Amino acid sequence: MKLRALGLIALLALAGCDSPRSEAAPAIGCAGGEIAGQGSSAQANAVSAWIRNYQVSCADATVEYASVGSGAGLAAFIGGTGDFAGTDSPLSTEDRPKADARCAGGPAIHLPMVAGPIALAYNVAGAGDLRLAPDTVARIFTGRITSWNDPEIARDNPGESLPATPIRTVHRSDSSGTTDNFTKFLAATAAADWPHGSGSAWPAPGGLAQKGSNRVVSTIERSDGAIGYVEASYARFHHLPTAAVGNAAGEFVALTDAAAGRMVGGAKITGTGGDLQLAIDYRSGTTGAYPLVLVTYEVVCKTGAKPLVKSFLAYASSPAGQQAATRLGYAPLPDALRDRVAQAVAAL
Amino acid sequence: MHYLGGVPAVLEATRSFTRRATRPETPARLRLWVAATIATAATLLLTLSLLMARAQEQVRIIGDEAAPQAATAADLYFALSDLDAQVARMVLTAGDDDLAGSQIDALGTYQERSRQVDADVQQALATATDRAAVAELATHLAVYRERVWQTLTAGDAAAGYYTQATNVLHLDLLPAAQDLRDRSTERLSDAYARKSATEAWAVTLAVVLGAALVILLFALQVWLARRFRRVLSPALLAATVLTAAVVVPAVAVLLTQSATLSAARDDSLAPFLALSQARAISYDAAADTSRFLISDNLAYYDDDFQRKSACLVTGSACDVPGGLPAVTGGPDVSPFGRDQVLTRWQAYQKDHERIVGLARGGKNEEAVGALTGIRRGDASFDFAYFDAAVDDIASARSAAFGQALRDSKTLLAGWSWIPVAGLGLVIVLIPPAVRRRFAEYR
Repeated sequence: MKLRALGLIALLALAGCDSPRSEAAPAIGCAGGEIAGQGSSAQANAVSAWIRNYQVSCADATVEYASVGSGAGLAAFIGGTGDFAGTDSPLSTEDRPKADARCAGGPAIHLPMVAGPIALAYNVAGAGDLRLAPDTVARIFTGRITSWNDPEIARDNPGESLPATPIRTVHRSDSSGTTDNFTKFLAATAAADWPHGSGSAWPAPGGLAQKGSNRVVSTIERSDGAIGYVEASYARFHHLPTAAVGNAAGEFVALTDAAAGRMVGGAKITGTGGDLQLAIDYRSGTTGAYPLVLVTYEVVCKTGAKPLVKSFLAYASSPAGQQAATRLGYAPLPDALRDRVAQAVAAL
Repeated sequence: MHYLGGVPAVLEATRSFTRRATRPETPARLRLWVAATIATAATLLLTLSLLMARAQEQVRIIGDEAAPQAATAADLYFALSDLDAQVARMVLTAGDDDLAGSQIDALGTYQERSRQVDADVQQALATATDRAAVAELATHLAVYRERVWQTLTAGDAAAGYYTQATNVLHLDLLPAAQDLRDRSTERLSDAYARKSATEAWAVTLAVVLGAALVILLFALQVWLARRFRRVLSPALLAATVLTAAVVVPAVAVLLTQSATLSAARDDSLAPFLALSQARAISYDAAADTSRFLISDNLAYYDDDFQRKSACLVTGSACDVPGGLPAVTGGPDVSPFGRDQVLTRWQAYQKDHERIVGLARGGKNEEAVGALTGIRRGDASFDFAYFDAAVDDIASARSAAFGQALRDSKTLLAGWSWIPVAGLGLVIVLIPPAVRRRFAEYR
């Protein structure tokens, strides 16, 4: 066996060739112990994939995550029953001092961990590539535009022949980060047509209310003329068409990971001292940016975090972790932001 | 036809040439030496370059056709098994808001496997002899997808449609995939056998003709030295060295690449295919846990799980002789790695038994939670943990075979023209070596 191997090496050397060897996947730097997190359901699928991959690689680690919603997750973190919290919205001014107090040794910080583009999924006869400006979206969801052949929709879609089908809007009946970010977008970009402000509970009258993205997407699938907002993964996996949304640069941009990444990449970091809280400016004129995005954070203590929290989040923010989330329909963080997150995790 | 003295002219010319060549005079002897040496060199050149080219082509056929076909057929069987497992997950989690994440994950995986099946079927269509079998499989696949569509849109009647879907899979699709896998494995064995035959001929002829040429060149050198009192002919010496420099590496290359590819088949490809089979069975067995819950605790699916699990653990009554310990064993796997696969499967087996117990005790919600959860001790995580251990071994084997194939191709690269260049030069060197000796007799 050894002689054969030596012969092979000698002959390959004579042939003057370097045999390419496959590169091993980067190993996860494991830590042991048990940690628990709670929070946002919008990031639950990504966190589940990270937990599964991490635990498979790290036999001595147990990580649990309860998808209880952002508010309950932050409450658990503040109450000391969670090692980290998943949230779609940053800590409020009211919760911030409580979270800092819980951390004792240092402040609580936000780590953007995954971006979730929000899709406007629809089911309209003959409409394959619908384009919608923010004010049109606001008028649709407030019930002021009631038919797909409305002149305002036609204005966004010149040359397209749209049917007279009545519009059926579908929204979430439960409290959700997706609703919060969708209404924030409308409040920022179409204030004149969207008088309802923003929040986790759907504020406008009318429309079909459904609990959870799964039911929203099922309702759109079976309703002619329906349109609703859902996390991109649900629209993708159900093969529903999604609208190109108008941005502040005056473009209609289709939903892609790259376009969502441009929007997140254009966000300003408003946190300080390792806190990476972002302010997404829906009115910024970043060209090629898909404006409807949701960034979900992990909230952790800047100092005194358990080694397993640090190791787990290091994996989540690594290219491999982001890739695992992308497979589930999330958009990976732009490289520059991901690097900042990785540095912040390393400094925990 | 021309005749000379009653004998055909051609025959007479041949006889005359032979008489002249075999005359005991020195020029005639010299002509005979030269003719025999050049003829041997030319035969060696032709034989070696043609057989080397043939060996190259046969390695290409193994690497680009036979082995990928076998891997594709194995992958098809695996992808079909997992396809049905994902449908079972979707049925089980449908309508449960708390399990929406699990359902979307199952839907995404179903679509991924579906694309994998389509790609495998398309690749299998490239094999002319399999087209009828693939067409039949595609028909079953269409029926299966119709049943899946009915299952996923049937609401409360999903269980009935799913029974039909999984029946189509187990009674029609998987046997058809098994047939394709057997055919492709047979073709792979044939390709190896043809390559071995070519190598045996190439090595034998290279050794026999190479040795003959070296002996002729050496003998010519000795004969010239004695007859013409010359110490050494540099051209003949160069031709002798060149012959050895072509034949010895050629034989070494043939033997080494043959050993490399045979070892790759025995140590990497065959174990990889056997492991793929066991992996497909494990996916199908894991789906039985879901099927048991979907069917409202039908004992048939628990029995089926036990049968498949026994196959995996001990290799009894199935296509995986020796079970997981056998297909994960080998020089490429550490005892720890091998034991991990079996231990992790046994952990899933316990999960299955716990889930069946919960369901039989009327705790359906808990049973579904234990099935879909990702905590250690939950079936979904424990199966992923088991599969990761299998995947490590399968990936290493696949990479090792690919590497061996690249090494073989690298070794054989250029060997269809190296004999032409080397032995062509030998042929060119012989006339200058004897030209002056012929001149002495003019």
